[in-house]
Amino acid sequence: MDMKRDYYEDIELFKSGTVLVWTIVLLLFLFTLPLYLPSYNIYLMNIILVNVILAVGLNILVGYTGQISLGHAGFFAVGAYGTSIIMMHLHVPFLPAIIIAALIAAFLGFIIGLPALRLEGPYLAIATLGFGLTIMHIIGRWEVFGGRMGITAPPLDLGIPNSSWSFVIKGDVQIYYLILIIAILLVIGARNLMKTRVGRAFMSIRDDDIAAEVMGVNLTIFKTMSFAVSAFYAGIAGGLYGFVVTFFDPFSFNLILSIIFLVMVVVGGLGSVLGAIMGAILITYLQYDLLKNVENLPYIGGVLVAISKQWFTVIGLANFAGIALGIIMIAIVIFEPLGMFGIWIRIKKYWKTWPF
Amino acid sequence: MKKIWIAFLLIGTLFMTPILADAAAKPGFDDKEIRIAQWGPQTGPAAPWGSVARGSGLLFNVVNEQGGIHGRKIKYFIRDDQYNPAQTKAVVKELVEREGVFAFVGGVGGACGLAVMDYLSENKIIWVGPSAAITQFVFPVKPYLFAVYPLYEDEGSILAKYVVEKLQAKKIAFFYQNDAYGKDGLEGAKKRLARYNIKFVEELSVEPGEKDLSSQMLKFKNSGADVVIMFVNPTAAVIALKTCATIGYKPQWVSSNTLSDYGLMFKITGGLWEGVITGAFGMTPTADHPLMNMYREAGKKYTPEERWGTFYLAGIVFADPLVEALKRVGPKLSTEACLKALNSIKGHQTIGPKVTWTPEIHQGTDSIQIQKCGPGGSHILLQDWTANDMAIWKKK
Repeated sequence: MDMKRDYYEDIELFKSGTVLVWTIVLLLFLFTLPLYLPSYNIYLMNIILVNVILAVGLNILVGYTGQISLGHAGFFAVGAYGTSIIMMHLHVPFLPAIIIAALIAAFLGFIIGLPALRLEGPYLAIATLGFGLTIMHIIGRWEVFGGRMGITAPPLDLGIPNSSWSFVIKGDVQIYYLILIIAILLVIGARNLMKTRVGRAFMSIRDDDIAAEVMGVNLTIFKTMSFAVSAFYAGIAGGLYGFVVTFFDPFSFNLILSIIFLVMVVVGGLGSVLGAIMGAILITYLQYDLLKNVENLPYIGGVLVAISKQWFTVIGLANFAGIALGIIMIAIVIFEPLGMFGIWIRIKKYWKTWPF
Repeated sequence: MKKIWIAFLLIGTLFMTPILADAAAKPGFDDKEIRIAQWGPQTGPAAPWGSVARGSGLLFNVVNEQGGIHGRKIKYFIRDDQYNPAQTKAVVKELVEREGVFAFVGGVGGACGLAVMDYLSENKIIWVGPSAAITQFVFPVKPYLFAVYPLYEDEGSILAKYVVEKLQAKKIAFFYQNDAYGKDGLEGAKKRLARYNIKFVEELSVEPGEKDLSSQMLKFKNSGADVVIMFVNPTAAVIALKTCATIGYKPQWVSSNTLSDYGLMFKITGGLWEGVITGAFGMTPTADHPLMNMYREAGKKYTPEERWGTFYLAGIVFADPLVEALKRVGPKLSTEACLKALNSIKGHQTIGPKVTWTPEIHQGTDSIQIQKCGPGGSHILLQDWTANDMAIWKKK
């Protein structure tokens, strides 16, 4: 299964004609999605795609390089605030603004990468955690960032704002296409990066950093680079997130968010781009949509409400959403150490060898 | 290879079926029901405020029991947003576009409200009684948004007047959260004090999430303030009171209405809350008032498991003017008719303050009650509804 016979087979974007065809079908499906999906689901899709970008980026750090970060909400915040503030104060079009903001995030990622050269495991987790919380507090205290009250994102202008070249994107559907294109580019980018010398260096650091150094991998460069690349992805995701929600405050980028990001990568499957995507989709869906309207289901709804009122607190079904999310996460980690990517591999194997 | 094709086809059909089922958004009402909704944190860090949304539910239960409004029952939706603006937007969109909602009531959280404010007005959804005093909600006036919650600036002013005139305080200090909530309160109180030619002996701020308040409390102690007015969040208040207990400083604490849930505050301060004076946006939960008695009975009947506290009642206060407007509209319901009725509400009062809306001003009230925490977290009424004679927005 998935055996490579030569190097070029490994770096191919599409393994076979079938994969190519289905990728095209999937892309067609994604691009025509707004035609048959109610618009409130498009909002959910936007959040999912933002999280996909972030999870793919975080996976480069956690899954491929074997470092840990509990501070990705910080990079995410830098992206969101950076993009909006650069656009508002410097009147720069959207694309340069988001790239500058993501580069700022990447630079901060590089800075955080420096202590990572000496820290490992729980110590690194604490260092990155500190970074995430610091960013939240700095933003909250600084009036330029709108303080604790938060800021409203400016109009999403692809052209030059306030001129005849202005090209404002409005509404969930238009933003969806923008995010979709960026997400596809970044996912392909991440996938290709992993097939290069850089990607292999990351993986060698993950497997054994001393052995990697002996083989000539410069730990200083590649560890900090991994942080920077990962933070760049988080910055882009954050910049887009700002326009999806249109309003955000520092508290939106709290510790829980960093943990949720990590959960996406672990549940999806460490060290796999596809896994990160699946994890982001599943966790976002569970968080945003699961059991939000179970109450109105025929039969089951009433029973669940009654159970909840009897044995849990008065808040009713919200209890179940939390419990279900937790159980699903625990179950995946226990029964499928490779995450959802492991489930995917087994499904693939089953179909390939069917009926045996 | 064929098997993979079949698999994808199956997945594809699975995707499509639920999507095609509900295409068009429903209007907010029909001949049998009016759909009204609210978001609120049922889980997560702000879960104690989630009772606001459930309290509105009690009011709608009472209305439905009395036969609904002109033959229509109220169908009420509560959605948990975990106090996260991104989730608020998701649930609001889902409610508006899938369920078809006529109006929103309440809604805890300034940031959560600001995240959906524009969306709601673009979709012409009425929103009555946001459960947060945010000046952007009402100034400039939003045609579809009607606020009940008294502004923090008005409250700061009324509390300062009470402290000077009734408590006869000589040295007053102010303790505020470093955001719009705290600063608005400070602003109102300062303007009031300027009228008496008094200045605060100390003004200190706290960042949300700050856990060590000993330096602030020592400064208050050294300033010799006999009254400290505070506009802070519950956690900061608890830490402040506990710190003061250890350093042996006992000022009269006066607080904004955000800390007026005495049952909760008494419990989490371990009894230190007794004697604290606060503003209040609703009558005391134990008040002997015909409406309050009726709601109390209804509460026992429908939701015996709920604690009969300030925020649960707030749900009734915030949602009540909408019910009144719907009653005035009569059987021919439409969003425009309801807006007209809301704009004509004048001096309407149930268990909250008197609410008045005009087409130009959608801030419904400038009045609070002043209450004091008694033994066991009970409410004692100190001063009945008091308006802010210095409210600037009323002179516009």
